[in-house]
Amino acid sequence: MRRKLKIYLPFTSNELKRQLSYKGAFYLFMLISLFGSFISYYLWMAIYGNSESGVLGGFSKNEMIIYVFMVYVTSSIVTVSIADWISDDVVMGTVSMNLIKPMDYRISLIFRALGSMLYRFLAPGVFIWIGIEVYKVKVLGMDFPNILSILLFILSCIMSFLIYVLFDFCFGMISFFTTHIFGMLLVKEALLSFLTGQLIPISFFPESLQHVFDYLPFSSMVYTPVMIYLGKYTGETLCYMLLRQCIWVIILYLLGSLIWRKVTKRLIVLGG
Amino acid sequence: MIQVSHISKEFISPKKYPGLRGAIKGLFSNEKVKKMAVDDISFHINKGEIVGYIGSNGAGKSTTIKMMTGILTPTNGECIVNGVNPSKYRKENAQNIGVVFGQRTQLWWDLPLSESFSILKEIYNVSDEDYKNRMNFLNEVLDLEEFFHRPVRTLSLGQRMRGDLGAALLHNPKVLYLDEPTIGLDLVVKDKIRKAIKTINDNYETTIILTTHDIDDIEELCSRIIVIDEGKKIYDGSLKELKEKYGSKRKIRMEVKHSKELASFSTAEKLNCSSNDCLTEYDADNHLLTISFDKHKIETPQVISSVMEFTDVFDVQIQETELSEIVKQIYNHEVSEELV
Repeated sequence: MRRKLKIYLPFTSNELKRQLSYKGAFYLFMLISLFGSFISYYLWMAIYGNSESGVLGGFSKNEMIIYVFMVYVTSSIVTVSIADWISDDVVMGTVSMNLIKPMDYRISLIFRALGSMLYRFLAPGVFIWIGIEVYKVKVLGMDFPNILSILLFILSCIMSFLIYVLFDFCFGMISFFTTHIFGMLLVKEALLSFLTGQLIPISFFPESLQHVFDYLPFSSMVYTPVMIYLGKYTGETLCYMLLRQCIWVIILYLLGSLIWRKVTKRLIVLGG
Repeated sequence: MIQVSHISKEFISPKKYPGLRGAIKGLFSNEKVKKMAVDDISFHINKGEIVGYIGSNGAGKSTTIKMMTGILTPTNGECIVNGVNPSKYRKENAQNIGVVFGQRTQLWWDLPLSESFSILKEIYNVSDEDYKNRMNFLNEVLDLEEFFHRPVRTLSLGQRMRGDLGAALLHNPKVLYLDEPTIGLDLVVKDKIRKAIKTINDNYETTIILTTHDIDDIEELCSRIIVIDEGKKIYDGSLKELKEKYGSKRKIRMEVKHSKELASFSTAEKLNCSSNDCLTEYDADNHLLTISFDKHKIETPQVISSVMEFTDVFDVQIQETELSEIVKQIYNHEVSEELV
């Protein structure tokens, strides 16, 4: 185990260093998505302003404010798109460079993604989170969350990260068949912003759709940790949600192994 | 050390049609084209051998290497490298081998070379002591020190290639695959790389398989060569043998005193042999007479004296057929049938 960490940890630190050298692009990207969060914030404010009841889809106005920004923080940390990297590796033919080393391609990608996640957590994530907390306590007059729910939130986030990355690995495998997946990456982004609850809380969807979502991994990616943080899940529901995340980690891990085994059988390396 | 038996690789790709109409047609057609990149190749390589693996572009060299490294799975047949089947046990195999793909790098692009080496040290589980010894040795043969702390992206091609070779050797692999290691390098760096390969082979008995288009690489390094063409093995044997068998042509170039009759001069006629064995060409502008002949059938002094009888000779140059000529002939399918 220690030896494994020693092999793959350099990928994490490498990615951290790399991210630091391209920070301009990164901040611009963050600014754009933060901008998006403010749009949805004002949209929700308008909706609440015109609604008779103070509670929509189980969210009060204040909870919705926290939801919008916590979703932003969570998704910016958790959604590290490794399918991009796989696609690059396939297009440039560098995937073979990973295969000649005695290491697991997927684990090296996950550790690389971990570097990206840590960077995003440190760079804007944690500061925005603190900002939200200050706003929440000072302006909205709500209570500071207890330590337990913060810890549960972080635990849930780690599993979300694993679910997202393992899912994205399976998704990235498509590039072995089609080479370019740029278009599909856009489709993925759009679909996920719906299915993970980034755009609208999942409780706003019709009952029947919510049942379908229960059997998909997407709500476990962003929605679950944010709901845990908001204290919407308690007792049995909380355990059930964490367990569901756990199960998705296992299922997607196994699925990824299976696809990888199939893919390497018919692998074609481009360019010489 | 390496046992390759009846290995084949077939690539299937969708059929493409020419032009815009073809592109639209391609959207609806489901036709597939099969291409045998490697077709039933077998060979055996002993420990400590340096084998040159040559063939024209697209002959299937790299594909074979990729199957031996475990990147690609063969469609048929199998290979065993150091007792391990690479396509089944890729990671175990990877621990035993070093690979350099001349057109790519296995180094981390954004990091200093030194960082890449320390990552590789962990990946291959090299002990601190071995690492130190190895680095000393690699510094000696490859002069890594001068650019060891610079990011890989700022290195020149020659430096990068030396770095790549060093990276492939860090864990003291038993087998080293070099896929065009001297591509695009200048003569000085080429020489350095060749010397390094030679030293490594001498010191550690590393088995080396080398693909290249540079004939000098082969002449300097390889005792044995395997030639493949269109996925089929067409020659496997020593370099000397190939030269003896197919390098029988000798060429003499003479600068002579110009005379009009030289245009119709034929050495073959003079020596009473067929023009197949002896071909005379005269370049009237430069006063150069070139005679190509089979050295097993005609002796060189005979040729020269026959010309000297006819006209004054100022300068004589004798050229043996070089390996590059033979290889060129093989690529052009001129000798392949004889070889098979």
